[in-house]
Amino acid sequence: MTNLRKFSIGVALATTLLAGSASAETVRFWYHFDNPENPMADLVAKFEAANPGITIEAENVPWNSYYDTLYTSLVGGNAPDAAMVKLFAQPRLVEMGALEPIGDKIDAWPGKTDLLDNLLELNKGPDGQQYYLPIQYVTLYLYYRTDLFEQAGLKPPTTCEEFRDAAIKLTKAPTTYGFGLRGGKGGWDQWGAFVLSQGGELKPGGLTNEKAVAANQWLIDLFQKDKVIPPSAPNDGFQEITGAFKAGTTAMTIHHIGSSNDMVKALGDKVSAVPVPECGGNRWTSYGDESLAVFSASEAKDAAWKWISFLAEGENNVAFNKATGQMTVTKSGSENWNLHERRFVEATVQSLPFAHVLPQTPATSEFVNTAWQTAMQQALTGQITSQQMMEQLEALFAQ
Amino acid sequence: MPYMLLAPAVVVTVFIVFMPMVQAVVTSFYDLILWKPNASRFVGFGNYVKLFADPVFWTALWNTVIWIGLTVPLQMGLGLLTALLLNREFPWRGLARALIIIPWALPSVVIALMWRWIYDPNTGVLNDILIYLSIVQSAVPWLADPNLALYAVIATLTWQGFPFFAVMILAGLQGIPKSQYEAASIDGASSWRQFVHITLPGIAPVLATAGLLRVIWVANSMDVIFVMTGGGPGYATHTLPLYAFVRARQNLDFGYGTAIAVTFTILLGAIVAVYLARTMREVER
Repeated sequence: MTNLRKFSIGVALATTLLAGSASAETVRFWYHFDNPENPMADLVAKFEAANPGITIEAENVPWNSYYDTLYTSLVGGNAPDAAMVKLFAQPRLVEMGALEPIGDKIDAWPGKTDLLDNLLELNKGPDGQQYYLPIQYVTLYLYYRTDLFEQAGLKPPTTCEEFRDAAIKLTKAPTTYGFGLRGGKGGWDQWGAFVLSQGGELKPGGLTNEKAVAANQWLIDLFQKDKVIPPSAPNDGFQEITGAFKAGTTAMTIHHIGSSNDMVKALGDKVSAVPVPECGGNRWTSYGDESLAVFSASEAKDAAWKWISFLAEGENNVAFNKATGQMTVTKSGSENWNLHERRFVEATVQSLPFAHVLPQTPATSEFVNTAWQTAMQQALTGQITSQQMMEQLEALFAQ
Repeated sequence: MPYMLLAPAVVVTVFIVFMPMVQAVVTSFYDLILWKPNASRFVGFGNYVKLFADPVFWTALWNTVIWIGLTVPLQMGLGLLTALLLNREFPWRGLARALIIIPWALPSVVIALMWRWIYDPNTGVLNDILIYLSIVQSAVPWLADPNLALYAVIATLTWQGFPFFAVMILAGLQGIPKSQYEAASIDGASSWRQFVHITLPGIAPVLATAGLLRVIWVANSMDVIFVMTGGGPGYATHTLPLYAFVRARQNLDFGYGTAIAVTFTILLGAIVAVYLARTMREVER
């Protein structure tokens, strides 16, 4: 008898819960944070308190398979309502018809004027519509060990020639190498500083021209001939290059402000940063963008918009960037920016004038995801020549 | 009535095994790139024609042959040796038997990450030991050298898989009657002859079955390779299942990816059929 009564109470409870959730909306949100202690829960709680009736299900999706998972879930009809997205993915997402235009919503949103200048222009879709709302940014710069440079009587390099010279002088193999190159997944943005600065462009004819092939050869030579890059480079990813730099195995590496707090924790004053060197009279660095988007298949678009615009507003955006270690997109947040040491913020801001994004074509995704690393690894290990590597990569952009 | 009772199992098998298989074969006849859903079209054997002209396919096929051809015999050899040792009387034998299973019990991803650190040229312990013993002069980039990477991963998988053989063979060893060894030693057979004429025939069925299982598992396993090298450097550690995965999931080219997977299934199926036909005949004899 008691069991039966418990059961009926349970049923009654379940019915009320179901009825309750029917009127509420749930927004499924995907993001990727490297930082294991992420304060997303606080932001969710703050939002839910301000917007009763909306529940946020925020899910941290591992970065290495983030886009694979996102594309497949979109096709499989199980996509989130909103997600963190990068510019290189936009052409594909637009082609899939997966994105919801949010231009009108942004125009009507009070936070619009607080966004840093030019960001919305930079984020425009390939068809001129606005799908992306910026959330954070970084630029890649050159980390260097101040103490090692001082001991060797060197200044941080401003040109490729100085860079090579410093790298050679700082290399004392096998304990120290001049430069930590990321030859594994995600290393294209380091490569860009040396090759895309010197005439390389991701378009037909843009990679196989003489200058670009020579620039690529120059980088390969740093590894093969000058031996200023650790022999593990072809397989090295983020963990390896930052680990080697923190351990003192490399004297320079290229990454962004997101790793600066960790670097300072390990090296203190012995680490600083400057913009990437000028190569062949030109500079190129990667503008690391991150935006938020609402998906067209979502059934809670308005609630999803409320949530993503909430994250792009003043102090919420600062809290968000505290977790990712990147830079806020708001003017109000930038004013009293104290989440990073000043020298890294300066190197980031100084890099903005020559920071670029990759061209918005569908082939860019494949270049970033698999093609670049496979070709680079083959070239570094001498299986193909610089010319062949560039031909392989250009073939992607031929269609 | 018996068919009625079997029906649920048959229905489940049809839906979760055969339907996806048929679907994979169908998909492989289409030019299906996931982010171009509207450009999908039927191309017949087009993907297969493209596949046989693809140099990466042949590289991956050859890597797969080395991958299976080295890993399974090494695991079996090491497992046999371990089982013979564990079958002897020594103190704490129970504990040793329990500990030997650890590599097999660890998740593949943990093993892959662990070995990645062991192999690391800058901080890894393997290079440290080799340099200390003056076997090498400078750190060897095990996973970044295209001539070494595949073998380095094979070594890892051998370490992971040998306990499976050890345990299976140990069970087989304990099934051999002691009286046979007694009879052999009375007849004056040396321990080597006892091993060849009693032990090996005694565990042959176990070796055949465990070997078959391992061939299939090792052939299909790509998690350790994926975590350790991602298939690189270049295509040096691409095996066919990994190549299929990269094409289908990372490049979203499902038509081509499934064509690779279907081709590999047929190849593996053929090998398994031949293996079964030969070894099972041997064993039954």
